[in-house]
Amino acid sequence: MAHSHPLAPVDVSEVSVERGSLQILDNVCFTVGSGTITGVVGPNGAGKSTLFNVITGLLPPTSGQVLIHGEEIDRVRGKVAYVVQHEQVNWRLPMRVWDVAMLGRVKSIGWLRRPRREDREAVEDALEKVGMWDRRRSLINELSGGQRQRVSVARALAQEATVLLLDEPFRGVDVASQAALVSVLMRLRDEGNTIMLSSHNLNLVTNYCDECLCINCRVYAYGPPQEVLSQESLTVLYGPAGAIPPQDHNTMERRVGHHH
Amino acid sequence: MDIITETLAGPFQYAFMLRALIVSVLVGIMCPVLGVFVVTRGLGFMGDAISHSMLPGMVAAYLLGASPFSGAIPMAIVVALGSGYLIKRAGIGEDTSVGIVFAGLFALGLVMLTASRGIPVSLEDILLGQVLGASWSDVFVTAGLAIAVLAIIFGLGKELVYASFDPTGCSVIGLPTEKLEYLLLGMLAVVVVLTLYAVGIVLVISMLITPAATALLLVRNFGGAAVVGAVIGIASVIAGLYISYYYNMPPSPIMALVASFIFLVALGWKQGVAGFIQHRRARHV
Repeated sequence: MAHSHPLAPVDVSEVSVERGSLQILDNVCFTVGSGTITGVVGPNGAGKSTLFNVITGLLPPTSGQVLIHGEEIDRVRGKVAYVVQHEQVNWRLPMRVWDVAMLGRVKSIGWLRRPRREDREAVEDALEKVGMWDRRRSLINELSGGQRQRVSVARALAQEATVLLLDEPFRGVDVASQAALVSVLMRLRDEGNTIMLSSHNLNLVTNYCDECLCINCRVYAYGPPQEVLSQESLTVLYGPAGAIPPQDHNTMERRVGHHH
Repeated sequence: MDIITETLAGPFQYAFMLRALIVSVLVGIMCPVLGVFVVTRGLGFMGDAISHSMLPGMVAAYLLGASPFSGAIPMAIVVALGSGYLIKRAGIGEDTSVGIVFAGLFALGLVMLTASRGIPVSLEDILLGQVLGASWSDVFVTAGLAIAVLAIIFGLGKELVYASFDPTGCSVIGLPTEKLEYLLLGMLAVVVVLTLYAVGIVLVISMLITPAATALLLVRNFGGAAVVGAVIGIASVIAGLYISYYYNMPPSPIMALVASFIFLVALGWKQGVAGFIQHRRARHV
């Protein structure tokens, strides 16, 4: 497990979250470095979304703390962006791709003000980076799942966030769109951004993430996915084979067997 | 020419018709502007519920001899924010809250109305609205609140849109998402009360939804839909006033009918155009 580094983009130390008598996160510690993609894996209900809510400052932990570039989240809010699961977003609103990316500028434009030239330039840059500039006039309800994720990433870039959290970005996204999204994320990583994403797709995590955090209430393993996602650690993380329906178990074995 | 001028200007030689015109146009503007949010957020049911449940507040104000707005608006705001809180925090479904709380309050209002004597309002006024009976003070209250609502939507538009689009992301960048949500519900309460005073409890929903829904068929952005919706709203209420004046009918059902008619025409036009484009494409392939 990486050692705590106080100026790291994301430094989570001794974070616990309790809801009533239920322990959701137990003494979670890890540090994420700049220019990395970290995959967060674990069964449903493992606390992945809760962890993201704590990192983004939506949920104060019961104990422990999170530092973003060495600062408390309240002082660096604009630096963190959260791309939630796409059904938590109202894609039926009458908006175009451009309008969604411009939402990333809302905070820097300020109350009661209108977008200026620098805001429009930031939006243009962001849309070009995610390959959605040509679709800037498209209505958001006409976009595919993968395009919606890329527009959400553009909104985060327009916000000038350097830490991006994505909750299940690949769910319901077809393979071609997954590849497009992955290449966008890898490019952002190469530019020095810090990306954390949760996923049930162990194949994608193995192939494209630099680090993998295995979590189920507490941290089970953290390190390069090829080392972390072994059959034994998955059994520990997801429970014994008997607890998993046979088909799922087979696909998981196959996926793990495939890693390069 | 003289006949046309006479026909158009005739109704508004009367001060009560002029007041009705001002109130109606204000309603015709603010309903669709807020309505764009109501339609895209699926808040129509909530608007309908608010309009029914403010009745005890309105009757109480009449009993005390006060302006009906002074009872109805606070009651509507309490109901709107309270139900917003219930749905969010207690996990009670929206339809269930409506069934229990709002219908109960409407029933209470009806009982108060029929049990009290000597108040200057009838059930018919409540159901059909009192736009033709609007006083100058009603006009000023409506104008002041309409301007406030429009100014808020214009000034905080991008923040309200963000909170509607992605409440979680909105909170993450540090905007007060929950307050923005309550602000939207509060404005819904105010607009509903102003509208129901003019067009009656049952037809509030028509003014709130129909012009905005029509505009959203034609224009797919918030600003454009608000402007087009306001034009449709104004057209509906003015046409309603003329028809009601010349054919001696209550204005609010006519306004609602005109709005519904415009919606059907827009839908037909849209489908026709869509069909035509498809047809052209099919021929080219």
